[in-house]
Formats: sequence, structure tokens, C-alpha cells
Amino acid sequence: MTRRFLILVGVLIAFVTGPAGAVEIQEITTPLGIKAWLVQDKTAPLVALSFSFAGGTASEPESRKGVTQLMALMLTDGAGTLPAEAFRLRQEDAAVSLGFGASADRLVGSLQVLTANRDKGFDLLRLALTAPRFDADMLEQRRSQAIAGLNQAEQRPRSVAERTMMTTLFAGHPYGRDFQDLRASLKTIVASDLKDRAAQLLRRDGLIVAAVGDIDAAELARALDHTFGALPVGTPAPAIADWVPTARPRIIVVDRPVPQSAVVMAMPGVLRRDPDWYAAQLLSYILGGGQQSRLFDEVREKRGLAYSVSSNLRSAAKASLLVISTGSANDHVAEAIRVIRREIARLRRDGVGDQELADAKTYLTGALALSLDSSAAVASLVHSLQIDGLPRDFLDRRAGLIAAVTKADVDRVARRVLRDDAISTIVVGKPVGLAVDR
Amino acid sequence: MLPSSRAPIVTQLVVYKVGSADETFGRTGIAHFLEHMMFKGTATIGPGAFSRTIQRNGGRDNAYTDFDATGYYQTIAPDRLELVMRLEADRMAGLRIVEKELVPEREVVLEERRMRIDNVPAALLDEAVRAALFGEHRPYGMPTAGYVDDVKKLGVEDLDAFYRRFYAPDNAVLIVAGDTTPDAVHALAEKHYGPVPGRGIPARQRPSDGGPSLPQRLSRADRRVAEPGWSRDYLAPSYRTGETRHAYALQVLAQLFGGGETSRLWRTLVADRRLALSARADYSASSLGLSSFGINVHPAPGHAFGEIESAVADQMKKVLDGEVTAEDVERVQNRLLAAAIYAQDSLGSGPRRYAAALSTGNSVEDVEAWPRRISAVQVADVVAAARHVWREDRAVTSLLTPEERQ
Repeated sequence: MTRRFLILVGVLIAFVTGPAGAVEIQEITTPLGIKAWLVQDKTAPLVALSFSFAGGTASEPESRKGVTQLMALMLTDGAGTLPAEAFRLRQEDAAVSLGFGASADRLVGSLQVLTANRDKGFDLLRLALTAPRFDADMLEQRRSQAIAGLNQAEQRPRSVAERTMMTTLFAGHPYGRDFQDLRASLKTIVASDLKDRAAQLLRRDGLIVAAVGDIDAAELARALDHTFGALPVGTPAPAIADWVPTARPRIIVVDRPVPQSAVVMAMPGVLRRDPDWYAAQLLSYILGGGQQSRLFDEVREKRGLAYSVSSNLRSAAKASLLVISTGSANDHVAEAIRVIRREIARLRRDGVGDQELADAKTYLTGALALSLDSSAAVASLVHSLQIDGLPRDFLDRRAGLIAAVTKADVDRVARRVLRDDAISTIVVGKPVGLAVDR
Repeated sequence: MLPSSRAPIVTQLVVYKVGSADETFGRTGIAHFLEHMMFKGTATIGPGAFSRTIQRNGGRDNAYTDFDATGYYQTIAPDRLELVMRLEADRMAGLRIVEKELVPEREVVLEERRMRIDNVPAALLDEAVRAALFGEHRPYGMPTAGYVDDVKKLGVEDLDAFYRRFYAPDNAVLIVAGDTTPDAVHALAEKHYGPVPGRGIPARQRPSDGGPSLPQRLSRADRRVAEPGWSRDYLAPSYRTGETRHAYALQVLAQLFGGGETSRLWRTLVADRRLALSARADYSASSLGLSSFGINVHPAPGHAFGEIESAVADQMKKVLDGEVTAEDVERVQNRLLAAAIYAQDSLGSGPRRYAAALSTGNSVEDVEAWPRRISAVQVADVVAAARHVWREDRAVTSLLTPEERQ
């Protein structure tokens, strides 16, 4: 018998230093008054920055839907004296990874730069923030790409289901963006709209910054003042209205010629600032969080009704949803939905078991560390802690908060959230045997 | 063993040197189906217990199936490394495939195929392109997900025979990354994988030629397509098969020609001439058999496929005529090397890179020499690689169109 099991030993990747352990966050305030959280880490010769400004897609004017994302995208399409291509070459030559995007509530950006090119990286970021060009030819290019992207999304069952969920649950609220309106609006946006939106959002009030990597507090302070210092101080974009959920059960079918129907089932969830946040996280995990969840077991393992079935708690500034997603062959999808509803009802009625709660706590406690596998991931986490208004030592406290959740807490949240009369079910495909509401 | 103490976690990855390219026509989908069944119990643990145990110990796990390899990986706290080795060694030799578990899992496998392929017109066209390029009854020409009719027929005996033939320590590579030491890994691996018997698995052979009827033009008109697409795929050498000396130059060529918004295709077709909304080129050298060099263009509204095709041809001609400067090449090399540094900062991508190399006949030394070999590529190499690969008699051109365009 041959037994040549190759074990890789002694392959040394360059970046090995420092003690293993917790993420240590320092807070710094620059001479110009910019606050930032810093995790100094010399594991790799690079710096990752994650930052955001107050105001996102939900606060844009009705007639200018899409302007925030387009503006965010175009911040790196030329700035100062550098047209798009020159800006991009500058970025590539210094291996600077720089990008912007927009969520419903915030304009977000990220920068990654190797230590050797750190100044060049911050220079490019400053230029993008303070002197974006929004050239007409680039605007046309981005506009066509954005519209084509919407057209393609219209043909992807999962995207259609998500979009229908948002317009249904958030009808009349800025979170509910309709694709048709968005497409129509994108066609009318001109360069001055982008400039106006940039001027509204790119302000130092409401700026949140997280930095991770090979940089110390004094160096970071200098870099931040240099980068963000020229931005105006002033009132940030006004807050958007609260969301009042309408508890009406419904099943909506969107016809698409595909063999597998995409399904989302959504109900109002629990906001991040709610004291029951962790109880709700545990509940969602037990219901459909992983390969051990009830939905995975009942829908996939026992019945083979789907490849993917999951539940997620999604939270924005003004709303939270518990969303269950799956995809099942058109002639099985009605059964898949029946099984999911039965599991929701069972969890609400009988509550969670001690062992599954213990398992869920173990998972939720450990999962965070498992996701911190790059500097950019750590920066993104530290950034999100600040958005959520959490204290700097939160990561030390987190395990305790999860441990403190009781079965009674989770059962109470199950009764509050898992209401059959609050579920909106969206099915995109050609489902067979599904009773549809209007 | 790839040490890193960035976070208190380790990743174990066991890769078997077997994939969908080792299947036979009429029995496609076995490698992937077996990957699913690896979670369904052994002589010592019940169905689902593998992942449940990992989860109860604060870890997570998953698996993937490729043309040449099948990988199983777990990420967990360093003091649980022994646990995951014990579990992985257990299912390396002791898997029990039973009818009761297989029947519902077959439906899961088919649902996965529906989600990834049957619901996605571009994926269906890609399946046809591979069949044309590599030959429809041959390795790489058959889909990893398997054909629906084949998967429906697969039973316990098919999967069991495949498992017994290919799953053994002498056909596997163990990669451990993270917060541990080579000595610790060695000791644990000897203890748990050491006793598992080998099977004397012979080295794999792959065809050194492509499909029998090239060139081909394919098209798919589908009412689920919103935006048209034009693609061209060429048979290309890999690190191991064909004219392997071009493998590094082809990576530089793909970047230079269609990697990102500063590439030639993007600059001319998208930025200057507005013929396209996007344009890119792709090539991977990690394959045991032949690989492919792909060009993908998304035409702008009002521009016909013919315009796209001749614009791409113009750009190719410039390269073939030697219009490539040392500066062009150097710029692309710097970009590739920087991307590799960022990738090393991530615990996830490191092990996968080694797995891809080691399961397709390359060595650890090859992985480590990659930056040096990329840096050594000269202008003449890039032009020679283009001349070798961009040959119309080794190509498949494919068009994806909304139904009404037909």
C-alpha cells in the first residue's frame, strides 16, 4: 500500500507576527477634530480604511432616484486634473484599492493601500472626495451600465423577489425603491445633480472612520486631516421618516419563465438598538441560520425541497426585517412554503430547545472571529460598531451579552416577530398549486 | 501549513485529486453528488453529525467540487484542530452511503443545479460552450453539476464505487492555515490520517487536444435574457498540459488585454468607441488538462455583434503585430503582484491557492515562484503566447440574445 499523504509543512507566508487575540481599538481625535477608531496591526504591510458619511439612497429626492449610487461610483472616475483613465492608472500604479457605494442610510467608502504607497493612497482619496470631476462622457458610460444592470436584475428571479419585497413592505417609505422609477430617474440625471448630491453628503459631520493596519495614531491623525480636513462642516442630511409596518399577510407571485421559483418571506424584525437584538439574532439562527437550522433540516435535509434555505435578520436605521429566502422547483415550491410556515408556527408556539439555544449561542459568539480574516474585514467591523453607536470595548462585552440571553427572551421574541399574519411571501417563477392573494 | 497569527483561528482544507473531469459520459455529476453525501454519516457518526459537531465547537465548514479537485474545509479555534482532523479522517475511509439519505439529497443536488444553471441562461450557454471547446463526451466538456438525466439515475453503487476509487490519503492534500505550528500539524496529521490506508491511485491523464469540431459558433436566444452578450473562448495550455511555457505570459496577456478598466479592450470598446458596456478577458493556468482563454463583451444598445467582433479582432491584431511595449507589460506585472499581496492578507484565499496548485500537478515551489515567474515575462513572450492561443480553428464564439433579437 502506498501512503503518500502530502502534508505542507514549513511553507512560510511572509506575514507572521504579533500575539493572537482580541481586536484592540484606540480612539483618536485629529487636530482638526476628526474622530476615528484605529486597530494598529503590523501583520501585513498595508492599511485598510473603512469610512462613511451620513445620508444614503433613502434621503435622495423623488425626482433624482439613483443619484447617490451614481455619484458614489463616479467619485473614482476622475478628480482634479486627472480624467478617469489617468486617475485609474494612478491608482493601479500605486496598487491603491479605492471604492465608494451607497446604502439606504449612508455613503460608504473603503481604501486599501500598501505601506510603501500610503501617502499616494491618501492623496487619491482626498482628490476623489474634494475634486470629483463627473465628466459628461463618464456619466453617459456609468448611466448606460447602471440601466443595463437594472435590466439584468429584472431577469434574475432572486433580485426580482428582493425588489418586490422592498416595494411591498416599504410602500410609501423611502426604503421602498421601485425599479421602474429608478430607471426613469437615472435617464434624467445630469452632472450638476451629482455635484449637488456630493456637496450635500461629503461633509465632516456624520463622518465615521475606522482604520486597520500598519499605521500609528499620529500618522493616522495627519493622514485624516490631510484627506478629510478640506471637507465642509455643516448640517448633515435630514433624517428620514420612521417606518410603520403594515401587518397584512399576503402572497405575491411574479411570473417568470424559470424552472425554479425564488421565494422570499419577510416580516418586521427587531432593530439593532432594541434590547432584544441578540435574542432575535439567536431566534433567526435557530430558524434558518445555518446547516443545523430547523428550516435547513425540514426543507432540505428531510424533503430535498431546496438547495438553499435561510433566514436573516436585516437592520437599517429605520427598519428591520426577518427575511427567509429559498428556491424550489415550480412544482415543489408550494410545499416548501407550507413547510416553512409550519416551522414558523411551531417555533412561535413551542419556543426553542435548550440544546439548540446553547448551540446557537456558541455559533454566534464564535462566528465573529471566524469572519475577521483580513484587514479590510476588521476595518469594516470596526466601522459598523461606530455606526451602531456601540462602545469601543464592545467586542470584549459581546460574548457576555449573548450568554445572558435566556430561553424566555428568545421565546418572547418568537411570539413578537413570528406572526403568520405579518408575513409577506413573494414568489418569482411559475409556481404550481399556490393560492395567491391580491 | 501556512502559519498566521492574525486571528485565533485555523483552517483545515483537505483536497482530493478528483473532480468532475474524472467522470464518464452518461454518469456526470457523481463527484459533486458525492461531495454532498460526505456530510451524510460514516460508520461512526450519523447523518449531519459532521457539521453539527463543528458548529457546536464554534466552527464552520463547507466543501466545493471543481473539474480537477474536490475540497472540504473547516475554520475553527486552534485547540479544535484535532477534532476536525479526526472527523475528516473518519469520513476519508468510513463513509456510509445509504439509500434513505441519498434519495432526498439527489433532489437537493438538482435544486442546486436549477438555481445555478437552469435558471440562468448565461450558465446554460456556458455549458454548451465547454462541450464544444473540449468535446461533449470528454473531461472539461461535461458540467460539474452533471446533466439532469444523469443525476436522476445515480444511485448508491455509483457513488460508492467513485468514493472507493478516489478517496484515500494517497490521493489527497492536507493544507492547514492559521494560528498553529508546523510541528503541531505534523503530529496531529500523523496520528489521525496516518492509519488511513492508501489505495494506490494512478496518476490522472487528460486529453491534450480539444473538441472534434472546432471552430464553432453557438447562440442562445432566451426570453429571460435582458442584455445581449458576445463571447469568444480559445483552447489554451495550462501549467500542465499543452504548450505550458506560455502559461505565465497568458496571465499577463489576459490582464493587459481585458483585466479591468485600464485594459485595452475596455479602453477601446467601452471608453473610446462606446460600442460596449463592459469588456473583459479571463485565463487561468491551474488545470490538469487544457484550459481556456475567454473574452467577454456586453454590447452597448444599438451595436450589433458584428461590430463588436471586428473591434475585438482589431485589438487582437495589434497585439499579434507586436504592438505591446515594455511599459504595458511592467504595469500589468505590478498590478498582478500587488493583487497577490492583498490576497495573502486574507486567510481564506491562501489555502485555496495552494489547493488549486497541488491538485493540478503543481508544487509548493511553483506557488512560491509565481511572483518571480510573472515578473520574468517579456514583451516577446506575451506576443508569442497570443500567437499560440488566438487561433480561429481552436475557438468557440457564442452569442447570448434576448428572444426578440433573433
